[in-house]
Amino acid sequence: MTVQKAIDKFVEKTGAKVASYLDACVRCGLCAQACQYHEATGDPRHAPVMKFQPLQQAYQASKDPLSPLWRMIGRAPKKVTEEELSDWQDLIYDSCSMCGRCTLACPMGIDIASLVWVMREGMSEVGLVPPEITKMAHAARDTGSPIGVTAKKLRKILDDVEKKYDVKMHLDKPHAEVLLLDSSLDYEAYQPTLAAMAKILDRLGIDWSFSSKGYEASNLGLFSGEESIARTMVERITEAAEDMGAKTVLAPECGHGYGSIRWEAPNLLGRELPFEVLHIVEFLARMHKEGRLKLKPESRALTYHDPCKLGRRGGVFEEPREMMRDLVTDYREMKPGGVTNWCCGGGGGVVVIESARKLQLESFKIKMDQVEKTGAEGVVMSCAFCHMTFDKSSEHFKWDKKIEDMVQMVERQMID
Amino acid sequence: MTFLQFVEGPLFYVAAAIFVVGVVYRLIGILRLGGERDLARPNGSATGGAILTVLRHFVPRRTFWRGSSFHFVAGYAFHLGLFVLLLLAAPHVAFLQERVLGFGWPVLPHWAFILTAEVAFAGLIMLWVRRFVDPVQKLISTSGDYAATILTFLVMLTGCLALQESHVALRATHMVFVDIWLIYFPFSRLIHTFTFFFSRAQTGATYGRRGAKL
Amino acid sequence: MQNTLLTSARTSVGKLGTGLALLLVLLMLFGATETYAQSVRAPGNAVNLDDGIEDGPSNALGDDSQSDFWRNFRGGDPNDIKQMLEARPEGAVLTTTGQHWRELRENYIRKYAGWFPLGVIALLLLYHLIKGKMRIKGGFSGKTLPRFNINQRVSHWFMASVFTILGVTGLIILLGRPLIAPYLGKEVNSVLTSASMQGHNLFGPLFIVALVWMFIKFVRGNFFQWVDLKWIFKLGGFFGGHVSSSQFNFGEKSWFWLVILVGIVMSGTGILLLFPWLVDDLRWLQLSTILHAGGAILLISVLFGHIYVGTAGMEGSIDSMLKGEVDENWAKEHHDLWYEEVTGKSATEEEGTS
Repeated sequence: MTVQKAIDKFVEKTGAKVASYLDACVRCGLCAQACQYHEATGDPRHAPVMKFQPLQQAYQASKDPLSPLWRMIGRAPKKVTEEELSDWQDLIYDSCSMCGRCTLACPMGIDIASLVWVMREGMSEVGLVPPEITKMAHAARDTGSPIGVTAKKLRKILDDVEKKYDVKMHLDKPHAEVLLLDSSLDYEAYQPTLAAMAKILDRLGIDWSFSSKGYEASNLGLFSGEESIARTMVERITEAAEDMGAKTVLAPECGHGYGSIRWEAPNLLGRELPFEVLHIVEFLARMHKEGRLKLKPESRALTYHDPCKLGRRGGVFEEPREMMRDLVTDYREMKPGGVTNWCCGGGGGVVVIESARKLQLESFKIKMDQVEKTGAEGVVMSCAFCHMTFDKSSEHFKWDKKIEDMVQMVERQMID
Repeated sequence: MTFLQFVEGPLFYVAAAIFVVGVVYRLIGILRLGGERDLARPNGSATGGAILTVLRHFVPRRTFWRGSSFHFVAGYAFHLGLFVLLLLAAPHVAFLQERVLGFGWPVLPHWAFILTAEVAFAGLIMLWVRRFVDPVQKLISTSGDYAATILTFLVMLTGCLALQESHVALRATHMVFVDIWLIYFPFSRLIHTFTFFFSRAQTGATYGRRGAKL
Repeated sequence: MQNTLLTSARTSVGKLGTGLALLLVLLMLFGATETYAQSVRAPGNAVNLDDGIEDGPSNALGDDSQSDFWRNFRGGDPNDIKQMLEARPEGAVLTTTGQHWRELRENYIRKYAGWFPLGVIALLLLYHLIKGKMRIKGGFSGKTLPRFNINQRVSHWFMASVFTILGVTGLIILLGRPLIAPYLGKEVNSVLTSASMQGHNLFGPLFIVALVWMFIKFVRGNFFQWVDLKWIFKLGGFFGGHVSSSQFNFGEKSWFWLVILVGIVMSGTGILLLFPWLVDDLRWLQLSTILHAGGAILLISVLFGHIYVGTAGMEGSIDSMLKGEVDENWAKEHHDLWYEEVTGKSATEEEGTS
């Protein structure tokens, strides 16, 4: 039976960490308040704790230290059925951006998002991934990019950008010190951001280049739950960086892309990496601190949206704030901000899932409200996925707040 | 041997042994499942993160204060009350001194005992009631959650019913529930008494290493 | 269904609770299997009359006459508690009011108290057999309205839990002697009464907390209105006919105020019985026990009616206290004015016809 493959995966991926989480939960339900999908709908099913029930069941049946006892007395939990697993599909994909906010509300500090990742790994084994995500993940595996930006196409895009924005785009420059990555979202949709990054690096005198071997920062394998795809994606980047001899790999404004190459890659590949990985904002903040990057503040009131994968799950909080304070005269903090910031509701692949559209929009109201309350004229972010969610949603709600990329602002306001 | 002597003698020692062995077995069993070393370059201290998260999650974050206040108040009323009763009630200290440890310590006066018991009972009843009227908790609670609550309640209740300390039957009743509770403990959600530490520390270490203070 | 993984586990909860409760009762009854002397341990300050005390003086009265002796015995203020408690020489040992109180308690309260709740149960059974469950006209609509918020529900069930414990222990204290002792033996009664007294005293103060909490959470909407008069004339609709009411009907309001007012009496008298030194006059305590018993019987009796209407008697009622939401059709039928106020729609018109 196919469902067995999912169960096997659950069991395989259950180590001490997952087991501690599963055995610590006391079903208090406090996680519910932290989830934008629960708060937006009030549906108890959307409580984060619901998401790992099949995993818990599989654990109790075979990996729990007590499972031999349960089997002996005939009280082993029954097997998760295929039907139950498909009932769980929308809980695992449509209504979880793996933002990790629930962990902060959990008295036990359970990292539910990491349990959802294990759930996704199992679900992908039995083909329960939403078709949009599967399609993009497989395209990424086969063509190098979730939307089909092949190495050949990349060359053309970079050429176009060079002409259009009057900037030099380095590709496959041998022995460059910095390997720059970007996500297909920027390659296709947010080209000004792409151009801005290149301009900043050139003006700072950085020896940088793209590589046609590994240029895609996004990693759809981390959305679908297919570890092999996730590994392929980071393998390409790692090889490109090693071929080039790059000392630093710069992750673009892409939250999960940053997490993928910064935190997941060494563990996916099973080895430490010979280069440093920085998010572009981390890099810019470093330059700023060293005095190499000077900014001319604009007199605007703006707030900053912490992308979950960059902040809560990446630890990058202070750097973007340092930049913000020099980019605008009136920087405003959202409430709750920083580590408890509300997710945009589109991460983890949610924004591309058609069946999740209504839920995502509903949850975005929380975000809009949060931004409105700061009284700022707009919101800055450093994640293309957040940006897409903001764009799509504000178009739907006819929302008038400015949505800005930090990189573009830096490019506009930097002083040579 | 009378029934009382049995339940506070052999049965109690067996129950206590099952409790200790069971808890140790289960905790070691969890740790033995192991995990892989994080190979990413650290950006902060795992140990520091673990300590911070273990401590910080004792109190809800400000954003969640409103939504957690009920559980915070009822939870602490119950848990603190229970620990105080467990460790400072005169009969408990006398029992431990006589049978296990050989030494005792100062105990609560009677009125303080009663007051603590009331606080603990109020907390436990509130937590239990919340289980079946809160839509989320109702959906996710399993028989194990109710069993742990009911059993703990009965242990506390029988203890307080025996407060007059004049009927052997009441003392024996309390001891029977204590024994059941001790035996049930390692196999149930009550294990959260210890796993809360693992769970928080794991999260704190993982993200502390990344420089995020969860 | 989404929660298939959890449903099977939930069904066993009832069995489990029942099993453990049964065990509790059995263990307590276990006291009866040992001899009375064995089952009771003397309190620490007890004096064992068997040892040490030799025969008293042969002439205990000395030169006093019998009537002087009894005069002294009854002397002082027969109702001064402090004199009695401190065993002052001028204090009275016998009181006549005590004798009257005792007769009232033994011959009336203990004899008849149990019949009131039983009578209510019998009436409810009779009503249920004749009229059956009150169904929602038109069945469940599937659409719900929020009725009680989470804090209201928690405070209700908190009160219910505390009340149940106090009710059971209180009834054992009051009726143990006539109802338990003759049938299960004095030993069992002694064990149960000791346990009940400790439990009752411990949970009593929690009742005050629950009462205050419930008053705060439910007082809104529980003030009487003119529409309640109609409810009374139509006998609450229990015997046919439609009755209008807003958020709470006359029955619910009466129950609320009964609980609050009698609850205050119960709290006050309970405190006096817990801390008897708060008053000087013994008669306050005697009055307290009578009021406490009477109030308890009243509340317990009406409680059965409350439980009946909330569960078996009326379809859809229990949802309001468990889920906090009620079916729209239930609201239209039982609380039409509230329905109109909350939804802004008419309770009588069919939807879509306008």
